[in-house]
Amino acid sequence: MSHSDTIPLHPSSQSDIDEIENLINADVHSATVLPARPPSPPRVSIPISHSPSPLPPYQKVHPSASPPPVVPAVPAAAAAPAGSSRIGISSDAFGSPPDTLTEPVWDTVKRDLARIVSNLKLVVFPNPYREDPGRALRDWDLWGPFFFIVFLGLTLSWSASAKKSEVFAVAFAILAAGAIILTLNVLLLGGHIIFFQSLSLLGYCLFPLAIGALICMLEGNVIIKIVVVSITLAWSCWAAYPFMSAAVNPRRKALALYPVFLMYISVAFFIIAID
Amino acid sequence: MERVQTTEENYANPKTCLFHVLFKAASLAFYILSALFIDSFVIIFVVTVFLAALDFWVVKNVSGRILVGLRWWNEIDERGESIWKFECLDQESLARMNKKDSWLFWWTLYITAVAWIFLAIFSLIRFQADYLLVVGVCLSLSVANIVGFTKCRKDAKKQIQQFASQTIASHLTSSLQSAFSIV
Repeated sequence: MSHSDTIPLHPSSQSDIDEIENLINADVHSATVLPARPPSPPRVSIPISHSPSPLPPYQKVHPSASPPPVVPAVPAAAAAPAGSSRIGISSDAFGSPPDTLTEPVWDTVKRDLARIVSNLKLVVFPNPYREDPGRALRDWDLWGPFFFIVFLGLTLSWSASAKKSEVFAVAFAILAAGAIILTLNVLLLGGHIIFFQSLSLLGYCLFPLAIGALICMLEGNVIIKIVVVSITLAWSCWAAYPFMSAAVNPRRKALALYPVFLMYISVAFFIIAID
Repeated sequence: MERVQTTEENYANPKTCLFHVLFKAASLAFYILSALFIDSFVIIFVVTVFLAALDFWVVKNVSGRILVGLRWWNEIDERGESIWKFECLDQESLARMNKKDSWLFWWTLYITAVAWIFLAIFSLIRFQADYLLVVGVCLSLSVANIVGFTKCRKDAKKQIQQFASQTIASHLTSSLQSAFSIV
């Protein structure tokens, strides 16, 4: 292929021709090149239970445990090792796994579900981390609050005998807007709290009231309703107290806490009064 | 296997693309068609917002990773400050991403946001505050994803530039060194 004996080529074009020849030869021998590639998918990491291979063709949403087939075309095999290679920039602060980009979908789902449960336990139930509130809700998420607000709205709407849609819309809007406004309140009082962390917290603290609303829906007697709702109201306020009070200056604690309690008390009245 | 070798690229991740579009289309379709069939606002609200939230999760955690190799999230560090993290695959993998996949990804994101804006305008015109609430929630979810991924992409481009300038610099120094060593 090289005509170097007949025509004097410019040195750079000779090297280009050599390169092209090499590529053609490499293609021909591609079948032998493939097995030499190290099977890199297993190199990936921490959260993964089976080897992920995100980039081969026919990718399923739940990638299976089978490694990529050796037969496929060169681009696919080239993509598989590259896909499971390390990430460009992932500066993680606490040692959170840098390979979340290549994990299977099911792992993401499990991780998020586990986070919801752990956040709930941290906020609502007694546990040793309550003394250090900033640490506790470090991994905030908004799924839990979303479910609880919707659940509370649905329960109230179900209990209402008339105007069900309005009840739901009003409950949802008040709870959502209330959480946002309460967070703004803390921020304006000079408190140190992160917006989403506080939204998440106020949402999780609705869990006891949601249980109270469920019980009230099933139970008709007013006295029982009052007792149950007061217990759950106290529980919600107890859950919200450390986080809110730690966020602001001690002299302004009452200013930050009063609106929170007010909101929960009004939701409690709503639950009792709904008919 | 033959599909990948044809000159016109096909979708490399058809199922992921499907899910990416599925929830968006489902929530839009349900919202638009429900007015014809369903009387109860509560059902419309809950189903539409639930589908929009599922779509948000799928785009953020699954299709963003698989179709364009980007991911963003928020962390709170030891001092209590919130940090937004943007992550992308390394340059080779980014360059190998299927063009059709990323075209679909970005365009469906933008089109969904525009559709929700139109629906918001409709409900404003008809003075329906409760439907405006639904549309508002879905719109904010779409916008959040758009903003997150756009920032991620800008980050990735910055990295590419840095990487390129680094490799140029290292090539220059190595060729300079070899030139001097020859001399």
